Amino acid sequence: MNSSPAMEPDAPDLVCQLDNVQGMVDALTCVRWKRHQDALVELSEHGIVLIVEESGCLQAKVYLQRELFTKYEYGAEGRPRFGISLGLLVDCLNTFSSPGHSNTIEIKYPGPDMELLLKSVDTLNSCIYSEIRTRIPETSEWDYNFEQAGAAPLTFTVKSAALKEAIDDLEWPGSSVQISLQKSPPCVTFRGEGHGDLQIDFMYYANTDLLLAFHCDTEVSYGYKYKFLKATTANIPGNVARENRGSKLTIGRGGMLKVQHLVSVAKALAPQVESAGYQPPSRIAYIEFFVKPEETA
Amino acid sequence: MKFKAFLTENGVNLLERRFLPAFDKMGKTCYLFLTKDHLFFLHNLLNGDGVQCIAQFRIDVLFDDYRISSQNDDRIAFSLDVSLLYRAVKSSVSICTEFSGGLASNRLQIKLVKKLPHNCTQPMPFLTFETKGYKSAVIQDVPISKPLSRSQVVELQTALDSAQDLPPTLVQVQDPNQLQNFVDRMKHVGDVLNVTISKHGDLQVQTSTTLIRLGSEFQRLSVVGEKSQAPAEDRNLSAQTRSERAIARGDAQSVQVSVKHFLKSLQCHLTKPDSAFYGIAPQGACLTVIFQFLVPGTRQTDKSITLHCRLPVLDTGSN
Repeated sequence: MNSSPAMEPDAPDLVCQLDNVQGMVDALTCVRWKRHQDALVELSEHGIVLIVEESGCLQAKVYLQRELFTKYEYGAEGRPRFGISLGLLVDCLNTFSSPGHSNTIEIKYPGPDMELLLKSVDTLNSCIYSEIRTRIPETSEWDYNFEQAGAAPLTFTVKSAALKEAIDDLEWPGSSVQISLQKSPPCVTFRGEGHGDLQIDFMYYANTDLLLAFHCDTEVSYGYKYKFLKATTANIPGNVARENRGSKLTIGRGGMLKVQHLVSVAKALAPQVESAGYQPPSRIAYIEFFVKPEETA
Repeated sequence: MKFKAFLTENGVNLLERRFLPAFDKMGKTCYLFLTKDHLFFLHNLLNGDGVQCIAQFRIDVLFDDYRISSQNDDRIAFSLDVSLLYRAVKSSVSICTEFSGGLASNRLQIKLVKKLPHNCTQPMPFLTFETKGYKSAVIQDVPISKPLSRSQVVELQTALDSAQDLPPTLVQVQDPNQLQNFVDRMKHVGDVLNVTISKHGDLQVQTSTTLIRLGSEFQRLSVVGEKSQAPAEDRNLSAQTRSERAIARGDAQSVQVSVKHFLKSLQCHLTKPDSAFYGIAPQGACLTVIFQFLVPGTRQTDKSITLHCRLPVLDTGSN
C-alpha cells in the first residue's frame, strides 16, 4: 500500500479499494442524523475524513484511515477537499452492498467533471458503477476547537449500547439534558427535566461493566440540547453493540462535549475470532462528535 | 353461466404459497378469466396505467372435475379483490388441515354462485369456497363483480392477445435476487430507471439525476431471439459508452420506466420462478418481463404455467 507520488499531471488524486462496502456504509450512517446533509470530504495520504455539521452546535467526523483500504494510491499535492451530499453517498454505497456477493469497491477522485467515481470490482459478468457530483466547499471554518478542560482530561468511557439506551430514554422528559461528572463517589449523571424528570447514573465502582473508565478531578455539569445529543448515538450500527464496544466521552473547556465511537469496517470473521473481542486496529473507523453546550441562562 | 371445480392439492399450494402472495402485491383488484382450458389472473390489462401482469394456468394444474359453461363460448370473466381471494384460500387451507387428519375426503370446492347478502335486496355474485369435512362444512364467499358481458369479454380477450406478443430479443437473468437487491436499494437514489437491453446479452439498469448517476450492468446473459456478437473493441469500454455504441449500431434498445413499477414487477419473484427474461417491445412500447418456471427436476420449461409483466414506458430513451 505505497502511495505513488504524482508522476503524471493526469494521475487522479486518489484511487482506493475497499473490500467491505457495508463497513463504510455503517461508519458513514453513524453521522447521518438527517435525510439530507452536506458533507465536507478531505483526502490525504493518511486516509479520508468526512465532516458534517449543523447550525454551529453539532459537528461529526468520520476517519477512514488508509489501512482500512486494500489499496490506497494517493497522487495529490496537498489535501483536496470537496463537498458532497452525505445522504446520496450513503444510499449509493448501499447499492454496492449485496449479501452473498463480492463487496469490493473502487473509489476514485476526481472524475473528468470533479465527480467522485465508484465502481464494483471483482464481480464476474456484472458490475455496479456510479458518479456523484461534488461541490467546491465553503471556505469558512467551523469553530469547534476542542481543548482540554483543565490540568487533566474529564473523560469517561461507557458501553456504547448503554449510552445509546440512556439517551433514547431521555427523550421524553424534555429538550435539554444535563451531564454531570462527580468525583466522589465517581459517577456520571445524565439528567433530563421537562415533562417529568429522569436521571440516569453510571456509578464507576458499582458497575464496571457499563462504565469502563472514568477520570475526573473537578466536578462539572453542562447542559446540551437533546436533539444534538441524540444525533451522537441514534445511528450507531448494530455491530457496535454486538462487539461490546465502548464510547469515550470527554468534556472540554467551556463544556464542549466530545463523543467518540469505534465502528468495525472489517468483514465478519469466523465466530471464534469475533468472540475473542479482538479486532485488528486497522479495521476500525473512528467517529467523533462535538456538541456545544447550551448557553447558561 | 356455471362454474364449479375442485382445487387439487397442487393447485392450492401453488396459489396459497406462491402466486396469490405475488398477485396481492401487484394490485388490489384483478380479473379472473376462465375458459375451457385455462384460468387467467389479469392485472391492469384494461386501464393501461400501472404494471400489467398476466398469469395463465392450464386447468389441470389447479383443478379436478372442472366444469364451466356459458353462452359466451364457455368463457367467464369477473373482477375481484385479490386480498379477499387470498384470505379465503389461506383459511380454507388451514380448515382442511385442521379437520382432515390425513384424510383425502376434505376437498376444496370452488364455484360461482348468486346469493342474497344481508343488507341487500338484490342477489349478488360470489366465488364460493366450500370445504366438506367429516362432520362439518365451511363456506366462504368472496364477493366478485358482475360477470363481464360478451362485448367486455371480447375486449378482455383482445387485450390479452396483444399482451402476448414477445419482444424480438430477450435476455435471461438467472439470479433475480441480485437485481432485486440492487433496485430495492437504488430506489432511495432515483425515481426513474433507464433500462438498456442489447442483442449481445447485456442488461443495464441505471438512474440519473442532476447529482448522481448510478447503474448496474449484467453482461453475457443468455439471449433468446435476435442476437448478435459484441465487437471486440468495445470490451474494455465503460458500461455507459458500450451501451451508447450498441444503440447507435441498432444492437440495443433503451427505455425509461418508473422504479416503483419495476419494483412491483419484481414482486413476481414471490412465485419462485426459475429465471426471468427481459425484453423491450418493438418501438419501445413497453418493457416485458417473462418469468420462467421449469418442470421440477428438469431443465424444461413448464408450459402449463406462464407469468409475465409489461411495464409502461415513461419516455423512450435514446434510440
